[in-house]
Amino acid sequence: MNRILPDDFIAETASVRRIRPGIVCMTFSAPGFRSLPGQFLEIEVSPGPFPVTRRPFTVNRLLPEGFEILFDLRGRGTELLSSLSPGSPVRVLGPLGNGWRLGPGKWLLVGGGMGCAGFSFLAGELEEPPTVLMGASTADRLLPFDDGDLRVITEDGSSGPRGRVTDLLPGIEPGDYRVVAVCGPVPMMRGVWLSLPPGHRRRVQVSAESRMGCGWGVCGGCAVPAAGGGYVKCCSDGPVFAGDELDWDRWTV
Amino acid sequence: MTAPSLSRNLWGRRFDSPLILAGGTAGFGRELALLDCWDRVAALVSKSVTLKPREGNPPPRIQETEYGLLNSIGLANPGVNSVVQQEINGSVNIPCPLIVSVAGEEEEEFHRVVEVLEGSPMPWAYEINVSCPNVASGGLPFGSEPSAVERISRAVARVSSRPFAVKLTPNAGDMVETALAAQEGGASGLTVCNTFLGMKMDWRTGSTLIPRKVAGYSSPALLPLVVARVWQVSRTVSIPVLASGGVARGEDVLELLAAGAEMVQVGIRLMRRPRAASELFREAEELLQ
Repeated sequence: MNRILPDDFIAETASVRRIRPGIVCMTFSAPGFRSLPGQFLEIEVSPGPFPVTRRPFTVNRLLPEGFEILFDLRGRGTELLSSLSPGSPVRVLGPLGNGWRLGPGKWLLVGGGMGCAGFSFLAGELEEPPTVLMGASTADRLLPFDDGDLRVITEDGSSGPRGRVTDLLPGIEPGDYRVVAVCGPVPMMRGVWLSLPPGHRRRVQVSAESRMGCGWGVCGGCAVPAAGGGYVKCCSDGPVFAGDELDWDRWTV
Repeated sequence: MTAPSLSRNLWGRRFDSPLILAGGTAGFGRELALLDCWDRVAALVSKSVTLKPREGNPPPRIQETEYGLLNSIGLANPGVNSVVQQEINGSVNIPCPLIVSVAGEEEEEFHRVVEVLEGSPMPWAYEINVSCPNVASGGLPFGSEPSAVERISRAVARVSSRPFAVKLTPNAGDMVETALAAQEGGASGLTVCNTFLGMKMDWRTGSTLIPRKVAGYSSPALLPLVVARVWQVSRTVSIPVLASGGVARGEDVLELLAAGAEMVQVGIRLMRRPRAASELFREAEELLQ
């Protein structure tokens, strides 16, 4: 099974860095913590009663005695978390969900914005260095990656050509890759899915995103439209799905 | 009056904890089994079960607000027959009594779901969720009409060999009157209460994130509203009251017991803390020492 089961534990804040304007990298000390690439964490951003839920973060990297997360400052939860000082205890539930379905062969990673968090972790678990297509609005929003053939594109042309990550796909021969791993905003992921010739779509794995309540499968809040009708739970059925498990026509949010 | 004891009795069964996992926040127990968080869990209320499968509401189904949480899940469940096979008789043996939550779109649906559940040896009791909209009365919840609640309770009592609580809604009508109607119809207990109707609107656009617009609101800040209702209902009826809503600390548990609850349910706190029952119990126990 491509998952490590979670525990609810206390980690210690090790470092907080603004690596880009509005993007924060935090590391935590948690001896013995293990995770597969693609799994995520639910972190309590405040010990008080509010906010009432935790916040989900993908594991960006495993450290020898802990883990690293990357996130956008975009609300009260992330502001609270980023204001912690080294040494502060933090309650963490994880690792949650499933990981990428790892296997041999060459991988193509396609990411938009913060969806590229975790790509270095994934690349480190692959048998050969992947090709990475990374898109962002500006050069400032590109995430660090240094473990493969990286091609970047930005919406304002401040790094790489001007355009969206799907504009890099015509330069790719999908048949050269065993897996196309996609993560980013839903419209971007749909763009990648639709750009691929149908015969190559079976190679696609996506890491889905949805507003979550619990993160561990009990509330049913994080519904993602499933192929064939109904919904799957992003948190516990995913977050990694084969592209053909999802209903791309209904998946708009 | 003396401080409440954490040892409780419900429907002839003794419990060493008052804490019940609230419907819709614990699934059917499968996830709790994976995390092994059963300490001080007296019982588990399942997600609501309906006669036919329901895929649930379109997403987003969850929105956090400044001081609480809106949910619009829409009673997603695979229907009572699948639930009995896959969730209740099937995979996990939960180490505590199971209370199956029952919902319906029309009055007849509640007792028909219970009839199917009677074929399974697993449920210990039922919780009748009368907060869902009654299509025949223009979408008002069944729970807003005492006569409908009495008829539903009577029909369930007729087919059920097990005790059942009616989960009251705070959103319409007089809860005390509805509680008396449920008791009159044969209910064995009352859950006080379901979520409060809430909505979050973007003032710039006038739109809501949740497609159904109005959703169920939960928050620890609602505790006083629940304490008041538990107190009003429990001093009027003679059947046990299961408090539900606003519990985030051990102190809240003790307060609801003091207000007249026999048991206390924990909901969104459980979503945040899988071991909420164990943690709340320990906090309450320390306060009592």
